[in-house]
Amino acid sequence: MPQIPSQAQQVLDALLASPALEAYLVVGAIMFAIGAWGALVRRNAVVIFMCVELMINGVNLTLVAFADFLPDAGGLGVSYAVLVLAIAAAEIAVGLAIVLAVFRSRRTVNVDEVTSMRG
Amino acid sequence: MTIAFGFLAGMMLVSALGVVISRNVVHSALFMSGSFLGVAGFFVMLNAPALAAFQVLIYVGAVTVVILFGIMFTQKPQVRRYRSIINRQFWAGLCVAVGVGAFLSYVLAAEDWSSTAPGNGPREVAQIGRQLLGVAPGSEIFALLFQVVSVLLLVAIVAAIVVSRGKVGTGVDRGVEE
Repeated sequence: MPQIPSQAQQVLDALLASPALEAYLVVGAIMFAIGAWGALVRRNAVVIFMCVELMINGVNLTLVAFADFLPDAGGLGVSYAVLVLAIAAAEIAVGLAIVLAVFRSRRTVNVDEVTSMRG
Repeated sequence: MTIAFGFLAGMMLVSALGVVISRNVVHSALFMSGSFLGVAGFFVMLNAPALAAFQVLIYVGAVTVVILFGIMFTQKPQVRRYRSIINRQFWAGLCVAVGVGAFLSYVLAAEDWSSTAPGNGPREVAQIGRQLLGVAPGSEIFALLFQVVSVLLLVAIVAAIVVSRGKVGTGVDRGVEE
């Protein structure tokens, strides 16, 4: 086996090492922020639902990362993530039903034009 | 592991950005399923392969298809100009999102999580099942939460049918004849 230089060995070790807990948490936080940005700036109600799903997934990733990395968590974060999954599915069903009802009465899903409840 | 992490994180975050800035709604939905696939890969890395399977089945399969149905019912899939898809708070929203993301990242990275080591996740499906039903020691609360979520799913199904149904007595075959 050829001798590997020490710098290359260090780079190789860093590439093969398992990422830290903070890396997963930061990726989840960035995903949450992207979803929040989309929910704030987009006009289409369906796209807003997609962005809410992105936020839910960011939080799910955080939960599962805690379940894997914290010894005292007992892996319960995975079970919470399953519950979050079920609630997100229920939310998307009801939300799209509301979008369809709004579209049926207003012929639009642009949230800036659905203002009949504005005081 | 770092290579897989970088690949999955890049795929997930680029797809998430694609959802927000794509001008075609159908492209947004497909980008969203790519982002969910990245999350499923992270679940595999985090010792939760059963949850990754749920993620692929429910999100990449069901939720994406339901959203595509919503798109088909409510709009023409066409490329629109940015002015018509993004409201006037574009830069304000970007500032708020960057602020929220930076704050969350800082708090989560600066917090001292004492002893952390990977590999504590419930790798066996049987263990996840026992915890989800509240049988395993330390997870008794899930005996309640599981039933609450079951009732909530039932209520959501009934609500979705009631809300999306038209008025009684109008139309020949509702959903087809508008």
